[in-house]
Amino acid sequence: MHDGVAAYVLGVLDDEEHEAFERHLDTCERCQAELVELAELPDQLDELKNSPSSTSGDDPPMSMSH
Amino acid sequence: MCPVLGHLDGRFESADAEAEHRIAVLYQEFGGPLLRHVRKSTGNDLQWAEDVVQETLVRAWRNSARLQWEPSLIWAWLLTVARRIVIDGRRRKSVRPQEVEPPEVDMMSVPDGSERALSAMVVADALRSLSEEHRQVIEHTYLRDRTISEAAEILGIPPGTVKSRLYYGIRALRELLRDKGVAG
Ligand SMILES: [Zn+2]
Repeated sequence: MHDGVAAYVLGVLDDEEHEAFERHLDTCERCQAELVELAELPDQLDELKNSPSSTSGDDPPMSMSH
Repeated sequence: MCPVLGHLDGRFESADAEAEHRIAVLYQEFGGPLLRHVRKSTGNDLQWAEDVVQETLVRAWRNSARLQWEPSLIWAWLLTVARRIVIDGRRRKSVRPQEVEPPEVDMMSVPDGSERALSAMVVADALRSLSEEHRQVIEHTYLRDRTISEAAEILGIPPGTVKSRLYYGIRALRELLRDKGVAG
């Protein structure tokens, strides 16, 4: 259950799982602490999403290793 | 002491008045910072960002037990709630593939373009130094606005595996970015 915190903070869980994790969060201090630590990481990934070189077409954003 | 719930007991004549007061305090405490934050992920769509903030704070108010948490945890939770609302909105908007948002416009609307480009490079570098498995799940979920289940299907691995790889991958990424002095 604890490993759901990354998926939760990124917002990539299905609705049901998202809610289930939120209930877990209410009582799990470990996940609360990790949520605080990870809270701004998605914003850093957004830098990548928003950078012009990575918004093009169907290529994976990180496809530099061919 | 939590700034949101402070000492409210007995100060209000009705539950409605108290509820109203709490929403006002929520806005006061978190509205501004949240709006600044959300604007970054809605492009320059201020109206959309304001809607997201409003919905986030309404949800916060409905889950008021969580407002007794420490401020740093409340903030982390609010960011997560808001991000989820933005992602949902984006998924609804882009029934078509991402043909919207021409990059040039994006660049121009961002005031600190060069700083952003730099930190995008730092993040890209960090991602590259992750293991293939870790990079792959980050790429196929968050970076493409996909859920765990969708990514699992595409990658042909169980959702639980995606979830746990994502966890270790994100932790590793966080460590790398912290070493580079990017993460707080
Ligand atoms: Zn936990």
